[in-house]
Amino acid sequence: MPRSTALLTAEELARQGAVGAAVSACYEALALDNREPRIHALLAHLMLEGDFYDQAIAAATRAIEIDPDCSAAYLALGLAYDRRGGMWDQSVLVWHELAEVVPDLVTAHVQLGEAFSAASFDDEALDSWKRALVLDPKEARATYNLAIASLKREGMALALPLFRQAGELDPSQDELFFHLLGVKDGAPGPIDVEAVKPDRASRLSVAGLALKTEDYFAAADLVRLVLDENPDDPEALALASFAYLKQESANESMACALRALTLDPELATALYCLGVVYARRTGLNRHAARVFIALAKRAGSHGLVHVLLAESLLGLQRFEAASKAYRLAVRLDPACVRARFGLAASYLTEGRHAEAQWEIRRAAYYDTKRQGLFWRLYDEYVKAGDGQ
Amino acid sequence: MSAEAAKPKPKSAAKPKNGAARVKKAPEKRQEELGPLRNQLFPIGVDYFPLDEERAGFNEWYQRDYEAEFTAMAEARLSLVRLFVSWKLFEPQVGQYDADAEDRLADMLAAARAHDLKVIVTFFGDDRLAEMNDLPWAKKRDPRTDDYLIAREVALVQRIANRFRSEPSLWAWELGNEAFITGFASEDALQKWAGALRDAIREVDTVRAVLLGCDPETLVRETGVDARTAVDGFEYGVSHVTAPYRAYAAEGPLTYGPATYLDSFLLRAALRDLPVLANSIGVHSLEPSVAEEAAYVRVALYSALMNRASGAVLRRWRDLETEKREPYFRDPYEVLVGLTDVHGEPKPVLAEVRKFARVAARLDLRMLSLVPERAAVVIPAERYEPLPSLTGLYAPRSCLQSYIAAKEAHLPVGLAREGDEIGSFHALFIPSAARLTPAMWASLASFVQSGGSVVLSYGGGDADPALREVFGVEFLGDHGVRPVVSCRIAQPGLLGDLTSFDVQLDVPHYALVGAGTSTVVATDATGSPLLTLNQYGQGKAVFLAAPLERAIAQSDPWAAPDAVRSLLRTVYGSVARAAGAGPVIDCNEPSVEIALFTGEAGDVVFVLNHSSEPLTATLTTDRVVASVADIRGGAAAPVGARAFGVPLGANGAAALRLTYG
Repeated sequence: MPRSTALLTAEELARQGAVGAAVSACYEALALDNREPRIHALLAHLMLEGDFYDQAIAAATRAIEIDPDCSAAYLALGLAYDRRGGMWDQSVLVWHELAEVVPDLVTAHVQLGEAFSAASFDDEALDSWKRALVLDPKEARATYNLAIASLKREGMALALPLFRQAGELDPSQDELFFHLLGVKDGAPGPIDVEAVKPDRASRLSVAGLALKTEDYFAAADLVRLVLDENPDDPEALALASFAYLKQESANESMACALRALTLDPELATALYCLGVVYARRTGLNRHAARVFIALAKRAGSHGLVHVLLAESLLGLQRFEAASKAYRLAVRLDPACVRARFGLAASYLTEGRHAEAQWEIRRAAYYDTKRQGLFWRLYDEYVKAGDGQ
Repeated sequence: MSAEAAKPKPKSAAKPKNGAARVKKAPEKRQEELGPLRNQLFPIGVDYFPLDEERAGFNEWYQRDYEAEFTAMAEARLSLVRLFVSWKLFEPQVGQYDADAEDRLADMLAAARAHDLKVIVTFFGDDRLAEMNDLPWAKKRDPRTDDYLIAREVALVQRIANRFRSEPSLWAWELGNEAFITGFASEDALQKWAGALRDAIREVDTVRAVLLGCDPETLVRETGVDARTAVDGFEYGVSHVTAPYRAYAAEGPLTYGPATYLDSFLLRAALRDLPVLANSIGVHSLEPSVAEEAAYVRVALYSALMNRASGAVLRRWRDLETEKREPYFRDPYEVLVGLTDVHGEPKPVLAEVRKFARVAARLDLRMLSLVPERAAVVIPAERYEPLPSLTGLYAPRSCLQSYIAAKEAHLPVGLAREGDEIGSFHALFIPSAARLTPAMWASLASFVQSGGSVVLSYGGGDADPALREVFGVEFLGDHGVRPVVSCRIAQPGLLGDLTSFDVQLDVPHYALVGAGTSTVVATDATGSPLLTLNQYGQGKAVFLAAPLERAIAQSDPWAAPDAVRSLLRTVYGSVARAAGAGPVIDCNEPSVEIALFTGEAGDVVFVLNHSSEPLTATLTTDRVVASVADIRGGAAAPVGARAFGVPLGANGAAALRLTYG
């Protein structure tokens, strides 16, 4: 069935983020046809955007009543239940249903796991997160949840590697390095090393872009050219350290970072690389913590720096200090999923279960907002409807 | 073993049937040493539900050892208990009343009297378990709107009120509770029902207060029905943080952030011309630990006393014993949130209640009164707009954040509604309002002209022409959404100690304004005014170009950037001080709430920590404080200065008697 002009207007406004105008347009569309599930689903999404959960639940439920295959409405309904809190039994049913309707939707399995976990069905929760990782081995939130589950069952020593593993799946860690480097976007196209201006600044700048786009060959060539001219260039050594780090060559990365820091003890990019290498090595948490403390002094306004420090402190079983660092990270960046899970872990070590649960819910809140899954499901649903 | 535990149990507290209350007996000290046990002007009570076991039938209405439980309540220094009349039990057939049920109620009232407990008798309450209003003979007619059933209700309340009107333990009659009243679909129906039953009670009992058991703010949020007019016809109002309202306004940890202010916000919202009971205080889910539950209840109780409640009633005396089954499906609504567990063992929260009651008992409200609020947060009329307007959804959250900012500035602050009389205030905060009525603009102009001060934050949409007149700014348009709030101070010190900053925070609107006749106090990063100050007549009008209160509420109130919160509270505090509505006692910790009770024989200050971390608050007074003493007794500590420190635990509170010299 074709969409009405009012619905199209509502969609357009919603995509632009004009929530108020889009809600008005939805009501106009409903006045014309109140049995159109797409309008109710869209309204549910808009209410969810405003964190008006009861309204979102009502609209999504109506959409599902009209069409039980409306996957976008299931998503909105499940998210509304989860964000509202205290409705885990309903939430389990919705995510279960969505996982049936869209089996490859990784988030449905992650959310289902969190709903199971909140309702104290721990084994079912583990199964859900494992299923999510089968579908997408790089799903960071499923790994964070497994780390939390491991913490509850086996303690911090065994959970910490999982936290770090999840952190490395989380793209935000690389973002920190590029933030420290001052690189915002990657190279727009393939990099021709020969075409780069033959001066240090240009070579290092393009090397940074190459690293951002994971073109490690071009980056290595450019760094090598700089180091050929001056083997004691700390910035080039820091780039080399990062390139080695990304290729799992920890010893080489450590060597380059140490050399860079010998030349410039306050170089943030080198501090970052050295800290990350130390953190990966068993038994070097104390070293990692010292390096991250130094990094926090250099780049304290970035939340992830404090997350890295907190993780090292967790490894040292200094839970109170870790908790403080995580809290600072959350204050600096409320949307930092890694900080939220870390804070949840430190709360769990203090026996503050309700607050831990809250942090996990907030992590899910920001993660699902970032993903923008609604529009994918909505567009697929609309396409399927238009095809009929 | 403590002295308390070493005492032999009194006979009345011996283990009763069903393992009912086993609350420890207080040490038997002389009354003069203990001081007053309870504060008659601030009663503390608890809801006493008819059933304590899920498997119990409706006819087992209060079939348990209430004597023992009343003893335990009295020992916990409670002075109020709410009992629920079961219509189904009392009138099993049309016009035929169950004498046994009435006698049981009489016995309970007598038992309450014996323990010096006052009773609120609630008609037509719903506990979702005891089927109190599920009449087999009503044939599914709605007891809220059906004329015949309303006539039967009138007959029932008159019968009960008539029989017990001379009972000294009766404190008030109550009509309905939230669970029942949310069934009303319109204001008219609610008013008609409430009016009929209220008048019926007053015909036979002109002495007792009559209450309508709903909080207008939570009810309008839940059902769209505005109960304010209906409530106005009663002697008391109630405020009640319901689970849906908490999920809407402050879903998150209970022991810090907005959740700790929600109880007093709703209390202030309910306080209009009637005294208000802070009702059903307690948690709404099973997630918090018992320690968190106790901390939350402590904050809620102190908040009630510090914000003009006329009493406080806790959510449930005893946990409900649920059926043994997995998984646990029962709605946690009023289930495991009792002061004692299913075996009658006291939970940590009961110790908090007892401690609080001891403090409250020492506060002589005949001699002391709370410093009047000269500042108020104005709830815009658009709060009552239904969907598709979203302002009805945004406004309460913005007002809550504004209220928190005022509390963080340590202002004695109330709530007013657009259209209320505002002449008694000196400073008004109007948070993130998209539109005010022409009458409100006229009222504001007159208010500022005659010396009042106003802080108005832009809420989106077109600006009223009066903005130019009162606030002295030229509105040029809405710049729309901004992901970053930038502040550059143009006039340092004009509105307090503000600092420049750039922080990540989504603001939904930003008013582009020309300075006009106003002074630009701060701008954004591009030089567009963020904060302006205009002298208008005798007063000052401050304009904030971004809806910061709404931005905090809509983003993450538990992790809102400190810089933005600091800006708000600094501006609020500065404006209020200049208008003569500033804090009577200042404090260096924003998360500490202060309430000062003044009296001829000395003052009492209540200090409440809204954070979950311990801290030491430094209080600064206008006069030199000679000494401070805990209100509960003990030696006074000499001060001899205008400032002194008060150590507070996580969510801790202190009540101190001040002497000046």
